[in-house]
Amino acid sequence: MNRKISRLRALLWLPIALASTCVAAQTVTTAPPAGRLLASNCFQCHGFNGKSSIGFERLAGESSNEIYKELREMRTKSRPDIMDMHARGYSDAQIRLIADYLSKQR
Amino acid sequence: MNRRDFFRLASMAGAGVSAAGLSGLVRAATPAQLGTVPTNTGISGRVVVIGGGMAGATVAKYLRLWGGTGVAVTLVERETTYASNILSNLVLNGQRTMTSLQFGYSNLATRYGIRLVKGDVTAIDSVGHSVSLADGSKLPYDRLVVAPGIDFDTIPGLETAAAQAKVPHAWKAGPQTTILRNQLVAMKPGGVFVMTIPAKPYRCPPGPYERACVVADWLKKNRAGSKVIVLDANPGITAEPLAFANAFNVVHKGVIDYRPGAVINSIDASTMTLNTNFGNLQANVINAIPAHRAGKVIIDNGLANVGGRWAGVDVLTYQSTAAPGIHVIGDAAATTQPKAGHIANQEAKICADAIVRLLAGRSPDPSPITNSACYSPITSDTASWLTAVFAYDPVSGSMLPVPGASGEATARSQDNYKEMFKWFNTLMEDSFA
Repeated sequence: MNRKISRLRALLWLPIALASTCVAAQTVTTAPPAGRLLASNCFQCHGFNGKSSIGFERLAGESSNEIYKELREMRTKSRPDIMDMHARGYSDAQIRLIADYLSKQR
Repeated sequence: MNRRDFFRLASMAGAGVSAAGLSGLVRAATPAQLGTVPTNTGISGRVVVIGGGMAGATVAKYLRLWGGTGVAVTLVERETTYASNILSNLVLNGQRTMTSLQFGYSNLATRYGIRLVKGDVTAIDSVGHSVSLADGSKLPYDRLVVAPGIDFDTIPGLETAAAQAKVPHAWKAGPQTTILRNQLVAMKPGGVFVMTIPAKPYRCPPGPYERACVVADWLKKNRAGSKVIVLDANPGITAEPLAFANAFNVVHKGVIDYRPGAVINSIDASTMTLNTNFGNLQANVINAIPAHRAGKVIIDNGLANVGGRWAGVDVLTYQSTAAPGIHVIGDAAATTQPKAGHIANQEAKICADAIVRLLAGRSPDPSPITNSACYSPITSDTASWLTAVFAYDPVSGSMLPVPGASGEATARSQDNYKEMFKWFNTLMEDSFA
């Protein structure tokens, strides 16, 4: 009898426990956008999210393919300027992530 | 001065300074271009940042931009404005004023909702997770970021404040930069300017060589027959070897006397004499840059676990290897990356991203990349540049230069000199605007 009651009590707690798990699950956040941290390497010269207004080219909202192509071309220049040299620091996959992220910024 | 006064001063300084400090801008970025703090990320936590330099300002800003309004960020700084070390060599040749290198904190408060606290940190309680300030107040935190920059060793003979004012390092932009500028202007033709460079690691690897060039260029045009003797504790030029070898041997030939492998035993400020392994040298101006160590708050709080001078960190998060919950970024951290403002800004973003992920119960990005870039004036209208990209190496657990992605300009140019100001303005905007 006593054991039954305590089992019932335990069952009574179950929904509460489940509910709190659900609350915890609700606060689980969406993952940071892919490419954001990589692309932040551009922000020092091209502005936050590539929205430069005072410095080097604006990158936000440019076509992803265009950014990708340009960065890849820079890597093969024989007398590299500062950006041609910098572009050599990223793999094709990383350049793709950066280009995709910047192209989505408005 | 109480905290409320500081806020008022900070906003006043910010208003005046953004106009002066970013005077080279064609037009300022709009708030939409600068980004806004999101409200519904679901991430929450309290982060305290100690130090409002390049690293501290940037981490505070990006914690809000990426973490949202639930991440409460408090920035503790003892000064009312930040004086940029970058471009401060151009104060020496009169091309920039110190005022034009000041950046206020009011943008961080008004645009991003960062709480500013002016004060001195007296202790960090890494167990109780709080920071104590000199006014007796305590700031509790879930994550602490420490970004105090560097402090200097004392060169024998320069123990007093008077001696240090007579023989300035001018390696933290500020009053000493103005002192050195005035000393340079007071030189007579045929004078001797001696500068000393400490052993690595020191702040801004190309910076001392750049200074030698800027000073030599100014002396040539304004104080004929003067010399710049560069006493370098390192075995050779530590950054941009092509640009500076060319500058020393060709562009400023006969003016710069570069001597690697230098040992400074002592400096006598009253007789303006350096006792060195090259013998005694007499100078009209001595610019002695002492060896560096991490800022005092790192040493005092048991975070200097690398050679007793620098803070060891895990470069995936910049979390201290001495105390959990504490992150160290910028010049105070012991990493394989250079100690410089541009890369401190990027370390700050890696750290902000990691903290936001950790607060959300996620793992840090497993493969971060950082970059270092800078322009170095060689004359009053030409500059060279330097860049490097670093990627996380899981085997060594460190940031290693990406092969083939580091290098310097093949030649100095006027275009580089102009680009230098664009770079400076955007970098400062990314950190302070």
